[in-house]
Amino acid sequence: MKRVEVKLSLPVVAPLLDLIKRMVDELGGRLAAPHQVQDLDEELNAAWKGELLDGQNEDCRRFLALFDREFFASGTVAFDDNNAESVLRACAAIRLRLRDRELRGITDEAIEGGSVDVTGLGETAQRSFMCYVFLATLQELIIQHLDSAILGG
Amino acid sequence: MPAPRTETEPALAGLWRVVVLNDPVNLMSYVVLVFRKVFGFDEPTARRHMLEVHEQGRSVVWTGLREKAEAYVFTLQQWHLTAVLEPDETR
Repeated sequence: MKRVEVKLSLPVVAPLLDLIKRMVDELGGRLAAPHQVQDLDEELNAAWKGELLDGQNEDCRRFLALFDREFFASGTVAFDDNNAESVLRACAAIRLRLRDRELRGITDEAIEGGSVDVTGLGETAQRSFMCYVFLATLQELIIQHLDSAILGG
Repeated sequence: MPAPRTETEPALAGLWRVVVLNDPVNLMSYVVLVFRKVFGFDEPTARRHMLEVHEQGRSVVWTGLREKAEAYVFTLQQWHLTAVLEPDETR
């Protein structure tokens, strides 16, 4: 099994965790991405949404489990075949929530094109954007190193 | 995904398209990986669909019977892509 260990900067990442946990709490009862399916009856729609929510919550739980005692002791988190997909999806969900909740003032063009003027953001939005970029970096690391495990799974 | 319907509904017969809509958040590399994972696309095909989503706002990634189309939409939504079903009225 391939395993990737990443040493993170504790002084940079630890302050982002409160925001990440708040986004996860907010996601507890709602889907990160729009959910719409044409011609789905009410019962099936509710079951559909319920299963998506259960999966989202489980992914977020597994993501938060990365930041355990070991992380606070060494700054290290580890990805492998067992958690890579969950972490990837959780990062996507949290990024979508951050964008909806904390980064509404940034245009789609700026956020998609990577041309956000960070110095023009307030302190709260700056932290949210740092968090947004941090999660994207984790995703890129997993995609770069564990894509074959994900595609083979 | 939720249990499929147990009876055939005429309105749902025919072919359905699985359409992925653009969002400004998900990384291009992530979308390519999801397309490869879910549909078994090779890299160039996955990238072509991703670019179509990015540049044109949407891409039809699969067409077929409703039940399988629903399964694909559900899986794409598990990966937090914005995916919808549309009847294929071209045939």
